[in-house]
Amino acid sequence: MNCEEYREATAANPAFEGGASHAAVCSECRAYQREMLALNAKIAKAMQLDVPELKMPELPAIETNNVTALPARSRWRNPLLFAVAATVVLAVSISLRTSEVFQSYDTLAEEVLAHMDHEPAALRVTDKPVSDKRLARAVPAKLAIFDRGTSLITYAQPCKINGKDVPHLVIQGEHGPVTILLMPEEKVAEATPIDGKNIKGIILPVGDGSIAIVGDREEQLETLQKSVVNSVTWTT
Amino acid sequence: MTSSSKEGERRRRYDKLVAVFYQDMYRYAAWLCRDKAIAEDVVQEALLRAWKSLDALRDDDAAKPWLLTIVRRENARYFEKRRLETVDIDNLSASQAALLAEAPNEELEDMRAAIFELDDDYREPLVLQVLMGYSTSEIAEMMGLKQGAVLTRLHRARHKLKDSMETQ
Repeated sequence: MNCEEYREATAANPAFEGGASHAAVCSECRAYQREMLALNAKIAKAMQLDVPELKMPELPAIETNNVTALPARSRWRNPLLFAVAATVVLAVSISLRTSEVFQSYDTLAEEVLAHMDHEPAALRVTDKPVSDKRLARAVPAKLAIFDRGTSLITYAQPCKINGKDVPHLVIQGEHGPVTILLMPEEKVAEATPIDGKNIKGIILPVGDGSIAIVGDREEQLETLQKSVVNSVTWTT
Repeated sequence: MTSSSKEGERRRRYDKLVAVFYQDMYRYAAWLCRDKAIAEDVVQEALLRAWKSLDALRDDDAAKPWLLTIVRRENARYFEKRRLETVDIDNLSASQAALLAEAPNEELEDMRAAIFELDDDYREPLVLQVLMGYSTSEIAEMMGLKQGAVLTRLHRARHKLKDSMETQ
């Protein structure tokens, strides 16, 4: 590590502990780190804004009949037992997943919802489009061609559903992010509704595959469906 | 369990989370939007949304990033039509100036003003790291960036603040 690398790392994180061997022989870099730590302390202090008294909003009644209470979390008192148990659980989980015996969802719609749940970062509200390069990585030519057109695509990630490659895209709709899952190998007989908490969607049959489109309950998905379907060409 | 006891349990869970994380929610909102009144509105909306979707939070240990993500989303919703990329420090509204005026001394006020003037891209990861205590990989996940991009932004943010403080 040279001085430039050390200082870049220290400016990004003043508590940076790597590069100790460089710091040991470079007094200027040690001084630089002290300076960054002092600056950071001032930043931290400045960020501690006074917080006004909490004013709780008027909370609407929530239908709790269909809500299952979360089980209380049990605490492991013996860390060794916890470590052994965690290792066993991990090993069993990996073995089940790799052997494709693991089937936790009864329907494709449930799996789509669960998948969205696992990638909350995808649902950012943003106006920054993903690059063409990133989109091409998420939608490889061997699976499909996706014409981005005028859609604001803000998330693109290659994912797996039912063990099959599924490009996961998010576009910004009128009422927030809209998830699009391109499933070239998931054939469905007919359009299947998706009903989640605060979200709704549909799985559309498209050729030998299907496309899931999921958005806010207020989103007019019908208007999006046609343009999404027209944007996709399967290449499998 | 009866419906009313479920409701009570749900409310107690919510109140506990709000009590623990309200300050973080407000400060995060305030540094995102740089306006006291808007921050209060954003937090109100975020509290309401958190209440409605509380059942989606499966593990209370994940409550902080979950709540901050809601704040982030509500802030973005607020500015969907009216982007506020930069702030002219010499021409602040009363509600913007109110945040700076709370500083107990001049040096702190200068630092707040310097943070205020940072672009969103630099200010937000800095707030998440310094104020919220997140690692660069966690910030990358929250902001949908690569870790390298977060490191670069943090590096530049500190250098901009250092330069600002030296020219004060």
